[in-house]
Amino acid sequence: MIVIIVMLAAFPKLGVPDAWILYILLFFVYLAMANMWNLLCGYSGLISLCQPAFIGIAGYTLVLLVWVGVPFYVAIIAGGIVAGAFAVLISIPVFRLRGIYFAIGTLVVPEALRILFLLWRPVGGKLHGGGAGYMLRGMSGVSVAHYYWMACIVGIGSFFLMRLILRSKLGLGLAAIRENDRSAASSGLNVFRLKLYSFVISGFVTGIAGAVFYLYQGYIEPGAAFTIQWTMIPILATVIGGISTEEGPIIGTVVVVFLDFLLARYAGISMFIQGAILVGIMLLAPQGIMEIGKQIRTYFSWLR
Amino acid sequence: MNEGAQLSVTSIDVFYGGFQAIHEVSLKVQSGEIVALVGANGAGKSTLLNTISGLIQPAKGRIEFEGESITAMDPSQIVALGISQVPQGRRIFPDMTVRDNLVLGSYNRNARFKKEQNFEMVYNLFPILKERKKQLAKTLSGGEQQMLALGRGLMSSPKLMLLDEMSLGLAPIIIGKVYKALRKIRKRGITILFIEQSVRRSLEEADRAYIIEAGRVVLSGKVADLREEEEIKKAYFGI
Amino acid sequence: MASEVLIDLLNTVVMGILLGGLYALIALGLSLVFGVMKMINVAHGDLILLGTYFAYGMMTHLGVDPILSLIAGIPLLFVIGFGIQKYLMSRAMGRSMEAPLLIAFGISLMLQNLQQILWTPMSKGLTTSYALESFGLGGINLPLAYLFDFIAAVIVMFLLSQFLNRTYLGKAITGAAQDRTAAQLMGINTGRVYAFAFAISMATAAFAGVFLGLTFPFTPQSGTSFLIIAFGVVIVGGLGSMIGTFLGGIVLGVAQTLGGYFLGPTSQMLVVYCLVLLVLALRPQGLFGR
Repeated sequence: MIVIIVMLAAFPKLGVPDAWILYILLFFVYLAMANMWNLLCGYSGLISLCQPAFIGIAGYTLVLLVWVGVPFYVAIIAGGIVAGAFAVLISIPVFRLRGIYFAIGTLVVPEALRILFLLWRPVGGKLHGGGAGYMLRGMSGVSVAHYYWMACIVGIGSFFLMRLILRSKLGLGLAAIRENDRSAASSGLNVFRLKLYSFVISGFVTGIAGAVFYLYQGYIEPGAAFTIQWTMIPILATVIGGISTEEGPIIGTVVVVFLDFLLARYAGISMFIQGAILVGIMLLAPQGIMEIGKQIRTYFSWLR
Repeated sequence: MNEGAQLSVTSIDVFYGGFQAIHEVSLKVQSGEIVALVGANGAGKSTLLNTISGLIQPAKGRIEFEGESITAMDPSQIVALGISQVPQGRRIFPDMTVRDNLVLGSYNRNARFKKEQNFEMVYNLFPILKERKKQLAKTLSGGEQQMLALGRGLMSSPKLMLLDEMSLGLAPIIIGKVYKALRKIRKRGITILFIEQSVRRSLEEADRAYIIEAGRVVLSGKVADLREEEEIKKAYFGI
Repeated sequence: MASEVLIDLLNTVVMGILLGGLYALIALGLSLVFGVMKMINVAHGDLILLGTYFAYGMMTHLGVDPILSLIAGIPLLFVIGFGIQKYLMSRAMGRSMEAPLLIAFGISLMLQNLQQILWTPMSKGLTTSYALESFGLGGINLPLAYLFDFIAAVIVMFLLSQFLNRTYLGKAITGAAQDRTAAQLMGINTGRVYAFAFAISMATAAFAGVFLGLTFPFTPQSGTSFLIIAFGVVIVGGLGSMIGTFLGGIVLGVAQTLGGYFLGPTSQMLVVYCLVLLVLALRPQGLFGR
């Protein structure tokens, strides 16, 4: 495990082509988001469509702080914190809802934010392309390698974070809630608080991942920041890989990034294909690749 | 052995999730009979009725109605063949009128033609339903709801009626009325298979009975014979 | 001066009420599916938009008036809805709670992308001669389109309630919504009933789509705001009664027009979204719900 990490870290120094580096960066960013979505849906039973809100908010925080001269690594963390705080705020209305109601409630939030950021121009002056976007300023002297390493930290960090959570008291509580939140509540678990922890943690980490992404991309714009695509990617990754498993998001993210690579030429229909794959997987293999893997293994152990 | 039986259940196993609710149960009901299923809570009686109605599929065994295998049929087909269930807890449609509840009882194609006839029959049996026909079902008292549920079951022109715990939550006087109606239903030639908590009541109303325990038939036979059985006297008498 | 402001305000409120009728129509389909199948169709907004784009296609390629195109549009969406429920959703409903939601989500994205390819991301409108006219009512001037919306909404709601209350299938749908098992015991084939309910929901969506297109410009992304409106109406109006849905629609409609009046056209949806979140936070069963 450590070997892999060291290897990955060394890539930029080894002269691995930039394009690859960028894909791996994307992989880690997506992985963090997928893990967080898995935490919410697979482990806490919260079907959240709120990711774009966290990503966008953290992204904007990053851009605005850097604009006023804050060092970027601080700004990233700040982005995460703001996103986390936002999660706390949003939880008030949205946690009143169960299941599917909750999902749509969380859908409203990014939409509202999109319009808000269309209107709000907190720091005057330079607008990207005349729209409501911002360029990332003051990033000269920071190389791709730095972005890359940030992404690695976030992605790998998210994996270990998941491990930690699942083995902790929080994890056990979440497992109970996922099964049946009424009976969990009656056995004394503070359901609300546990869900809140999940939600905030996920907001924080997703925010950081989003901030890193915008660090790399260099500009932010409301339409793209709060788009539903940001929800689609972690969902697709988690579902393909295997929801409610630890390794699922990793496998799924690999597939998603690979798909991104394949479909780069067909950018117009990539969303269509992703949607079709999501529908297909839910119908044919809802437990994802992990489950298929398990079945194959069981099949082979039979043959012995 | 199965000749002449209107309903015959042969050696069925039924699983509820991972749990086996019914083990190798066989029973027979002749046309026109009243047969009781007796047993403690959780013994599997409701599961048995639900399996006959097609809501659950048995993992093993056969169910035949009037010579036709209904084991793999889905509920709508089974209702069309003439088996109607009045479920436990009545399960009337609370926010629909009494009349609409009855109308839905005649949903299946065969019964629709006879809708007006059946309405008359049901209103004759239960005049209170005619009185309250425009009221929302949830505003009815417990006893009235039971009558509505029974009436609804009758609207499908059934040949066999499955009744699950009709006396649940009802005062003794009302229970008496309900069973009186049941006898009238029986007079029309409708076969009845019913579940009843009270052993005494079961033996009073039925021709034959099956005693079910933990998903198995432990005793069965004509009511007159069962009354003599030591076990019944010992374990259940007076309940 | 004050009287001018008053007239403007009155104008705005009346427009909001008329719009509210349309919003109630949008929500009807969603609440029908939710009431019967206990599932919120996340693709509802995009399916409405499908209806809109279909009418647009008919208009631009065949010169057919959008309202007339409903003759084709309604059956089309009906069949699509029937298919979606029968072949996709029914398989998913058994598996888990998330499955139908995710499938609807996938469909939603597919539709958005499809719309984008076919019609470009540019904003379009169902511009017909009458849609742009206004009419006078006791001193205030109202866009004709809004009136049409309201009338259409009332007609559809009336038809739907008649269907649900008077026909066998309608009663079966209502019954299945209240107690699925009891409905099965009546010999109601719940699979088919669900498919019909979804199909009817889509038929109302076709209506809603055309009238929305007549009233507002739309882009491939508009589906999301339609969904949020529908959801908002259901939340604010409470689930369970058509009257509640109607009133919920009116509340949202007025909120939007007032928001547009005071804060400008870009912010009007924002006002609606905030209202929805507010109602969620303070009174989740809706203002008129049970």
